[in-house]
Amino acid sequence: MGDAESAACKAHCPLQELVLRRPKVLSLRGITNAMRRGGPPGWAPVAGQFMHSFWQTMRRCGHGQSISSQSVGWPSCRLPTGMQRSKARSPGPGERAIAACALAVLAAVLAGVCIQQARFDPAVVMSAAGPPAAAATTMPGLLERWPAGLLPMSGAEAFSPGTLSDKIDGKADLYLSAGFVSLNDQRVALTGGSGSWMEVLVFDMGVPANAFSVYSSQRRPNAADAGIADYSYEADNELCLVHGRYYVELVCSDSSDAARRAAETLARAFVGATKVADHANIGAEQALFPPEGLIAGSIALVPSDVFGFDRLKNVFVARYRDGGNEVTLFAANRGGPDGAAREAAEIRSFFVVDCGGRETPAPPAPPGASIIDLGGSFEAVFSAGPYVAGVHQAPDLGSAQRWLAVLSRRITGGRQ
Amino acid sequence: MNPPGTGPEPVATRREFFLRGLRAGAAVAATGGLAAWLWNRHPPGDFGRAQASDPRKDFSVRSAGPRIAIATGRDRAAMLRRALAAVGGIERFIARGDRVMLKVNAAFATPAILGATTHPDLVAELARLCRAAGAESVIVTDNPINAPESCFELTGIGAAARAAGADVFVPRPGSFRAGTLPGGRLIRDWPVLEEPFAGITKLIGVAPVKGHQRAGASMTIKNWYGLLGGRRNQFHQDIDGIIVELAMLVRPTLVVLDGTDSMMTNGPTGGSLADLKATNTLIVTTDPVAADACGATLLGKSFRDLPYLVRAGELGLGTTDFESLHPARVPAQAS
Repeated sequence: MGDAESAACKAHCPLQELVLRRPKVLSLRGITNAMRRGGPPGWAPVAGQFMHSFWQTMRRCGHGQSISSQSVGWPSCRLPTGMQRSKARSPGPGERAIAACALAVLAAVLAGVCIQQARFDPAVVMSAAGPPAAAATTMPGLLERWPAGLLPMSGAEAFSPGTLSDKIDGKADLYLSAGFVSLNDQRVALTGGSGSWMEVLVFDMGVPANAFSVYSSQRRPNAADAGIADYSYEADNELCLVHGRYYVELVCSDSSDAARRAAETLARAFVGATKVADHANIGAEQALFPPEGLIAGSIALVPSDVFGFDRLKNVFVARYRDGGNEVTLFAANRGGPDGAAREAAEIRSFFVVDCGGRETPAPPAPPGASIIDLGGSFEAVFSAGPYVAGVHQAPDLGSAQRWLAVLSRRITGGRQ
Repeated sequence: MNPPGTGPEPVATRREFFLRGLRAGAAVAATGGLAAWLWNRHPPGDFGRAQASDPRKDFSVRSAGPRIAIATGRDRAAMLRRALAAVGGIERFIARGDRVMLKVNAAFATPAILGATTHPDLVAELARLCRAAGAESVIVTDNPINAPESCFELTGIGAAARAAGADVFVPRPGSFRAGTLPGGRLIRDWPVLEEPFAGITKLIGVAPVKGHQRAGASMTIKNWYGLLGGRRNQFHQDIDGIIVELAMLVRPTLVVLDGTDSMMTNGPTGGSLADLKATNTLIVTTDPVAADACGATLLGKSFRDLPYLVRAGELGLGTTDFESLHPARVPAQAS
């Protein structure tokens, strides 16, 4: 390229000026001057001037009709090496078409991804959340040695929190809310041709309190204590127990004596073969509830959503006979007076605000207690030391006051 | 002219251009192939998603009109016969040559006495009656996710069906087809049981009355849950919503609701006979909403206690006022 051509390029090409006079144009003034030269008169905004200048530069240097790459003297406008050849000539119609097609395909892919992602596809969501049902694994057996008279009908299966509902459907929530870890399950048949069989379900609940929670929440009324492990009962064809962190159900296919005896034998074998670090013991919580009127076996640890209040969790409840009615007392240790008082206020607010209850005049004792009239039943709540406690579904105001007084005396030891 | 310090300007030859083009093409092809290889055509439910079709299943017999019969007693087979007679006889619903599907509740591998599944006596009697009415075939099916074969065998349903001349269809992954329920919010591009419906002309749902930890109750409408595949447990997050959509999904020929023993506590699995209460009732009707509204009373509830029933009634999927259908009440001593 001759000097004249180079000068022509310099005269018309702000980009070239930017490159060749780099030390100067790196200053704001230099850039502004370069832009101003290429921009039409009246282009005030700097950004607009820059874009206009850039476009002109590209048109002249890259795609120019009036100044070819040869005549412009390409090396004078030299950009990084990889860009040179693309500047060397205009893309032909075929290249433009291919580029347009590629961009169109990319745009279509982007649109497809956006559409798919915008649609709710629970199957995909759940695939990330847990393995499919088939992932229930088959294990060698729940026990290394089965008691005499029992033979496994199949291998054991294992279920995780992600697959528990495949096994027990809508009851999974009860376990999941109580800290469920895993379920191992196996069926065994009674030998001797009776045709009886039983299913053994071993729920690992993580800690003994959780195991007691699901045990007590499902305890059948009028069930007889079985005297096995930490807690246990027998109800017709079923034997349930708590052994440390494990909650165990043995469900027989019938309620024959042979089946029940086999269930008891198997339960003892399981307890003997399964070592646990800690045992379930609710002696301290049990002592909070007065023994008079208590319905046997009714003390339960409710893990969540207590009385329909979603923020009320891990509360011990006990059912009482009150004449021809039934009343529920509740108590929970919240670690300190502040936490207990705060939760008592929340419970009071739940019954008044959420349930539309009406607070009755405060009872004389215990201090700070509230009784709420729900129109047909009465709720009472108070806090004492680390405990929040109260009465649920008392049939009348007198019953609520009476049980409140009994419960507060029990919890405070008559100190109030 | 070359800038200082640089050699001659490199120029791409035609050969170089083609080579670069080939390399770029190979890269694109490899990327595309990898994407195709990684693409999961059969996500979690292992169902064919090639075409999401309308999964609605309408097997109602409109000429029969809305009918309901409530039989009382302990003998399920006898109650079924009497209740069917009271709604006009099985012949009103099953014609010669019909291919009948019995959708049972075989969700759990538990013995029939626990009341968690459809009682085999009902399955056998219903299959026999359909056959006697001229049905060409009777298929018994459900989709218990866990160990389906065990569920059919240990509940006694499989043996009862076969003894009565019915076939048992145990779904496999390929038995489902992606469907999107028109107007549905949850059943969208979701695997719905399809394979055993090929050629079916009549559908009868048979379910027990059970309390349900999450839904409040599990009866005839919840029984259609077994037509869904995939990771359906997530629907428990909106249990009322999915039951309403199940009512939209299926229009059966008849439903049979077995409240001979109702599961009052620890549903839907139960486990102990202590969970059951003898409620001595069996309901046969063309209207699943009416059946469930009536069944709710056996659990000591009203349809108002079950939001999905209220909603189904509001949508016109049936009536919650089952008394408005003038139920034919068939006492035990009538047999």
